[in-house]
Amino acid sequence: MITGPADETQEERDELASEYVLGTLSAERRSEVQQRLRDDAELRTAVDTWERRLLGLTDLVEPMTPTAHLWPRIERSVAALQPRPPQPAAQPASWWNLLPLWRALAGAGLTATLLLGALLLTQTTVKPTYLVVLVGPQDKAPGWVIQASNPREIQLIPLGVVEVPADKALEFWTKAEGWQGPVSLGLVKPGQTLSVPLDKLPPLVPDQLFELTLENPTGSPIGKPTGPIQFIGRAVKVI
Amino acid sequence: MPEPLFDYEAHLAACGRGERQALRDLYVQESPRLLGVAKRLVRDTALAEDIVHDAFLKIWTGAARFDPARGSARGWMYSVTRHLALNFIRDHSRETQGEPDVPIITEAFDAHLHSGRIHHCLEQLDPDRRSCIVHAYVDGYSHAQISHKLGTPLGTVKAWIRRSLTALRECMG
Repeated sequence: MITGPADETQEERDELASEYVLGTLSAERRSEVQQRLRDDAELRTAVDTWERRLLGLTDLVEPMTPTAHLWPRIERSVAALQPRPPQPAAQPASWWNLLPLWRALAGAGLTATLLLGALLLTQTTVKPTYLVVLVGPQDKAPGWVIQASNPREIQLIPLGVVEVPADKALEFWTKAEGWQGPVSLGLVKPGQTLSVPLDKLPPLVPDQLFELTLENPTGSPIGKPTGPIQFIGRAVKVI
Repeated sequence: MPEPLFDYEAHLAACGRGERQALRDLYVQESPRLLGVAKRLVRDTALAEDIVHDAFLKIWTGAARFDPARGSARGWMYSVTRHLALNFIRDHSRETQGEPDVPIITEAFDAHLHSGRIHHCLEQLDPDRRSCIVHAYVDGYSHAQISHKLGTPLGTVKAWIRRSLTALRECMG
């Protein structure tokens, strides 16, 4: 804590406050004052009083309309300040917020969805309400398909057998718009069809994200994806 | 000084509760003036927008701790913005000693256009001393820059400013 010199008179303190508000102090003295302001109530009162006295001088300045970018920028920065769920330091930037990734996947996903959707529709008697094709993030090769005949339960169907390292497991995740982060739907064995009730989650919505990530055999230790994405796709409502 | 019929305190309190619309309202209400103030100090529009951006983040994060007993909410927004700009220009001390070409507003100074008490009190000062105060507060000039600008010795400028501030304090109370 920095306080003023013990022998500082009220006059000297007021002078310091006035030149601080006026703006004529050097960088060093400014930072000194700013540190003192945290604990020095007398200096704070003197500064506040000078701020009030001189505020009217701002009237001498012509207003200037900000560019259209400024508010959205402030809005983004404010949003970024909101508390997020804790994540381990080593984890890379939250990939589920990477817009370019979704953009890149959208096209490939849609095409595959339509093709496979049509295929599946001819084979099942119950018409699915949602379809998702999970593709590899790099090669965009379809690996799994998800179908939901009702919004409360989904089936994860493998399109082939994928290789998973012996000390790893595939974990199934979903995230809809507005959720804080992905929610785990459990571990998945390669090549196995899986039915997953969504009773603990809100009903499926269009564009809801699904993915499979590589995690420890017991699943992610933090309840959020930590390993690389193996397959990813978004829900499409079947007309 | 026209203080529009806008409840700054209520909006700031709403920001303190996390209501983003209140920040938006404050922005719409005050950003052109704040940007004008910042631009005048840092002389660069993009930089001035950076300052106003940072100021609004400070306003947002500091809103809950704002103490109305210490002054008006509107005044606080100006203080936050000015001190960010002043910190910047002092930290990146401008090499130019009073060179920048800015309108010399003190020459066109007309107290009757400004109703606030400060303008009445400013009018009581000698024109040279008034210039010192305005160049410092509005343009962010250092003592040395004012000395250069007015062609007056540094020691004289420092003494003028000190005495002018004392006179302003006595005039304004």
